Amino acid sequence: MRVKVYLVDDHRLFLAGVKAELSEEFAIVGSAYDVDTAIEEIRGLEPDVVLIDVHMPDGGGIVVVESVGETNPEVKFLALSVSDQAEDVIGMIRAGARGYVTKTIEPGDLVDAVRRIDAGDAVFSPRLAGFVLDAFAGVMPTEDDPELDQLTTREKDVLRLIARGFAYKQVARKLNISIKTVETHVSSVLRKLQLSNRHELARWASKRRIV
Amino acid sequence: MSLIEVETRRRDHFIVTQIGQLRFRRRGSDRIVAGVAGGLADTLGVSDAFVRAAFVTLSMVWGLGVLVYLALWLMALDRVEDTDPESVATHQAVGLGLAFGGSMLFLGALGWWPSNALVLTVGALSFGTAALTDRNMPGPLVALVDPSVDRPGRLRMLFGVLLLIGGLAVFSSSVGPISGIGPVVLAVALTGFGILVAFGPWVTRLARDLGTERRERIRQEERAEMAAHLHDSVLQTLALIQRSDDPARMSILARHQESELRDWLYGNAPLEGADLLSTALKASARRIEADHQVPIDVVVVGDHPLNEDTRALLGAANEAMVNAAKHSGAERISLYFEAEDNELIVYVTDQGKGFEPTDVANDRRGIAQSIKARVQRAGGEAEIESEPGEGTEVVLRMPVAAG
Repeated sequence: MRVKVYLVDDHRLFLAGVKAELSEEFAIVGSAYDVDTAIEEIRGLEPDVVLIDVHMPDGGGIVVVESVGETNPEVKFLALSVSDQAEDVIGMIRAGARGYVTKTIEPGDLVDAVRRIDAGDAVFSPRLAGFVLDAFAGVMPTEDDPELDQLTTREKDVLRLIARGFAYKQVARKLNISIKTVETHVSSVLRKLQLSNRHELARWASKRRIV
Repeated sequence: MSLIEVETRRRDHFIVTQIGQLRFRRRGSDRIVAGVAGGLADTLGVSDAFVRAAFVTLSMVWGLGVLVYLALWLMALDRVEDTDPESVATHQAVGLGLAFGGSMLFLGALGWWPSNALVLTVGALSFGTAALTDRNMPGPLVALVDPSVDRPGRLRMLFGVLLLIGGLAVFSSSVGPISGIGPVVLAVALTGFGILVAFGPWVTRLARDLGTERRERIRQEERAEMAAHLHDSVLQTLALIQRSDDPARMSILARHQESELRDWLYGNAPLEGADLLSTALKASARRIEADHQVPIDVVVVGDHPLNEDTRALLGAANEAMVNAAKHSGAERISLYFEAEDNELIVYVTDQGKGFEPTDVANDRRGIAQSIKARVQRAGGEAEIESEPGEGTEVVLRMPVAAG
């Protein structure tokens, strides 16, 4: 059975392009240009994967991810955006998206990313990997949950290789581990990113801007 | 170098630029006659209401104010421009005020004006009005009682009212005997109160309409500025893209425009003079991308100021990027920079055809040597990993003082 994909983007031209790129591989069950339609239709259609734009009128992608997450937690989101503002990207992930790629991604890589999201893995673009390393850099763990507030050395190694432009397969070979282990590390980073409640994470983006 | 030093350098640079721009221009908008007083106020960084008051007062001295106004007008005949007001510290504003008052007293002492009463009256009245109508302040009567208005603001209101009363008093004492002040003040107060009751609502409505109109004008000016910028950048690029039939070139143009627009929108435009390594790396990558038509993905974690040593790192990274763009045949190149506590690391990675590092005759080996030598001279080290068919990765490391 083909993976059911739903698309949300307020740029119609871009939406049409993505549709053409993905329709051979996946069943495109629908698409929306605005937040309200998207929430309603995703709840009705229950797609496997939703590709969602970050910046849209009426609250943007975050609102869709949060609202659908409350009623249909099994729907998985991949954020696809031109924005590379750290606040936006980290915000989408913390709202529940399982990955983030920029709109300049190659079509083949986008297909891979959707498959990976459908399989329950996380998808980190080089840029997201950089943001995460930055967010977790050099701050002491808080007392409530040190495990959630820090990345392990191995997780950092994996993120650095992703930031350097290597695919999961190459990361696995470089570190002498299996692709499955790479995926486990990335999923664990995603979980920490979503659950860590250290306030530095939220504040970090604006702090970085000053430097 | 600490980030504080970087900040200081950036601020010094800012001040130097500001002084360089301290040229007198007439105002284009928000002016009464020819924008001379407004332009002078913007240049000096004081309220335009007070500058206008100074001109009015000076005009009582045989029309000197008018002459000065005309002279400045001639000076800036073809220099009309809206510049942001310079910001000037309070002590400087007070200094300017004292200088003006002093020169007026000097003129008075020389007996160079028609009558004390006239100059004092007009001076007090115009400066009082200026203090009360300065547009940065709320309505005068509200300001006197509203605790949310800051103290200097309320003091200035009080000062304005006192000046007005003083001006009227001098005026009345020059027309009639001192004993006449009481009834005159009473009469003026009663008339004022009557006018206030009669025209108050109308005046406030007028003021509100003026405020709305001003806000609308500011919005329009902002829109015009944005349109101008978009025209110079985005529309030009879109035109270029439409005329180009090479997809690679179109893509490069689009990427270049994207990052430029992003910098403009989010205010990340690099400041000249006070550079950071991350900004410099991004700028280099963008330039090489445009020169060699290969996209370069830049990811940056942390930052470090540019200095002698880190410039060597930047130079080596440039060389590695150009090298990859020219020889690797890869579709895209990755640049990753991370500033750790005691080390800076730069990776330039491509997934292109690679080369045999032991092949002495290879041209790329010579470049590899030059990259190594450059980083080593600055106290760092460089590693180049490559295999035919497996791409190339250049790793540059530079130790830095912790902190």
